[in-house]
Amino acid sequence: MSVYERRVTRAGLLKAGAAGAVGLTFARPAFGGLTQLEATTLNWLTWSDHYANDQLAAVAKKIGIRGRPTLFSDNADAYLKIKRTGSQFDIVSGDALWVPKYHKDGLTESFDLSSLPVSKQLFSIARSFPFWKDGSNYMGYPFSWSTVQIYYNPKYVTTVPDSWHALLDKKYAGKISLENIPTDVMAIAGRATGAKKPYSMTSGEISRAKAFLKSFKPNVLKLASQNNEVVRALADGSAWIGITNLGTDDRVKDAGGPVVKPAYPKEGTVGFIDSEQIVKASKNKAVFEKFINTTEQAPWIAKNFLTNGRPLFNEKAWKLLVNQGHGDRAKRLLYNQPQKALQMTIKGPAGDEQAYVDAFNEVFGA
Amino acid sequence: MNTATEAAPAPPVDSQPLSESAGGRRFRIAEYAGFVPALVLYGAFFAVPLGIIVAYSFWKVVDYNVVHQWTIDNYRYFFSVATYVRTLWATIWVSVLSTVLTIAVAFPFAYWLVRYVPKRMQRTLLVLVILPFWTSYLLRVYSWLNILGDQGAINRLLQWTHLTDHPVSFFLYDRPAVVLVLVYLYFPFAALTLYASLERFDWDQFKAAMDLGARPLTAMRRILLPQIKPGLTTAVIFVFIPILGEYLAPQLVGGARGVMIGNLIVNFFSGAEYTRGAAASLLIAVLIIVLLVIFRRSLEIKDPYASGR
Repeated sequence: MSVYERRVTRAGLLKAGAAGAVGLTFARPAFGGLTQLEATTLNWLTWSDHYANDQLAAVAKKIGIRGRPTLFSDNADAYLKIKRTGSQFDIVSGDALWVPKYHKDGLTESFDLSSLPVSKQLFSIARSFPFWKDGSNYMGYPFSWSTVQIYYNPKYVTTVPDSWHALLDKKYAGKISLENIPTDVMAIAGRATGAKKPYSMTSGEISRAKAFLKSFKPNVLKLASQNNEVVRALADGSAWIGITNLGTDDRVKDAGGPVVKPAYPKEGTVGFIDSEQIVKASKNKAVFEKFINTTEQAPWIAKNFLTNGRPLFNEKAWKLLVNQGHGDRAKRLLYNQPQKALQMTIKGPAGDEQAYVDAFNEVFGA
Repeated sequence: MNTATEAAPAPPVDSQPLSESAGGRRFRIAEYAGFVPALVLYGAFFAVPLGIIVAYSFWKVVDYNVVHQWTIDNYRYFFSVATYVRTLWATIWVSVLSTVLTIAVAFPFAYWLVRYVPKRMQRTLLVLVILPFWTSYLLRVYSWLNILGDQGAINRLLQWTHLTDHPVSFFLYDRPAVVLVLVYLYFPFAALTLYASLERFDWDQFKAAMDLGARPLTAMRRILLPQIKPGLTTAVIFVFIPILGEYLAPQLVGGARGVMIGNLIVNFFSGAEYTRGAAASLLIAVLIIVLLVIFRRSLEIKDPYASGR
């Protein structure tokens, strides 16, 4: 009987399988470098505008580290996910004063920013935010920033809404769209009603902010779960006013919508400065710097700006944009003025999160 | 009559009680083996999480941490805020209205399908009914934005026919939009359940009732409906209960005026208010359990032939 004619018995098959498994186990170290290169995946809790799929694919191809994003909308939501899940995530994006909160609570780890060659592409101001310093280390890699302001459709809104109180006008009933982020909406209401620290309001200030939101509610068309829904509502004309990030005018135009214009409320506004942080419980901390060093390169950041339209902290990308003929757009959206980021009320955890969410829900329920 | 002297008939062989021998026990274990996967699944992924939610609803949150201190504050708070009670009622009536409309659309469809459509064609139409399931739930809800929006199909039609010269905002971002989308989303569940029930119905009884002088509506009310009551109840359960917990449809098409309790629960959870969120979720769960207890009686059917068995 030739080897080809030999009958395959169940016992023979099991033996061959076991031998194969043992062989593979012993052979693995020999290909260790290769398998690690192909298999490293960084679970990244982030916003949809922090990456592009082609960027992640190119990075994986180049350095063998694949970023696997999971999206969140609210900082509080991401903070809780990291707190609950620990090592399931390797990188988490966070806003301004949320970053020290993560760090103080032992959820993230600071690092030597200057050890990342790509950090030299950043505006110098982004390398020295006092609230992100941890001795000589930095708590996060600076990414982007934006004010949260008013965008309006001049076809329907004939008087520039230069105050939050202008949004209470009854002629805007059901015509304003904004994101459903209770803490930030409360902070904006705090700004409108003169709270000194919109993210740490006293109970009296919370009451005033709540009263403002009650008057504001009839004018709200939609509390959007994602920023792109606000853009969509402005683009299809169902919303006349949006409370949203810088660059919305370009995004609405790109979506085939009408001309919308920005307005800066005289009471001031809130805004974000966001970053990428290393999750302390991550098992892949060693590859964080390599990953950031590749994904945050100027060409990718310039492309990100053109897609998402709000300023980023990569100065080399600014120069690229100017060279590519996008300088006017970048300038209009304050890309070359990162110092403006420190003039707004930056986002952070609420002093009393429960009071903020309660007040918000009490207004926006049925 | 002296019954003691009468010989009792020997029980049939197949009705002998199972012996308590090892073989008998093995048989019993084997009988229950099929139940184990469902027990594990529902135990681990339903009963245990439900228990956790119950416990959470009686604890409190301090600085983003759940503190294991027993309290009924979350419930007291919920019922002390008029907005929440109003939202709960709004959720219930939107669910009731959507369920009634869904059944009102699905019943005539299933009736027509069973009575007047040839068997082969029935299968084709049933495939068409479940066709929306081939796309994602999110996509199905999103597509309504293109139908109901200011630039949507309905507004374009109205403007094209010169019935209006500007977009009508009534269709989107309000409760009617939520109800409409919910009816669309849950129609297949009701239609399939009612079809299965109507298909098993003995239509000769219906004809007999008519032959005996009953009007069609009377025959339907007195002959058909009592016999398909379990199917009707199942359809109501399949539609009403998931709608109670709906979050996405009101979020996307309901706007600020179409909020349901699910939207507030999401805000509670995303804002770290686990305990408040758990209490609100549990109120919905309790409502569902009460309804299931009520519906349970409707799932029983009286013997239509009065055979006495």
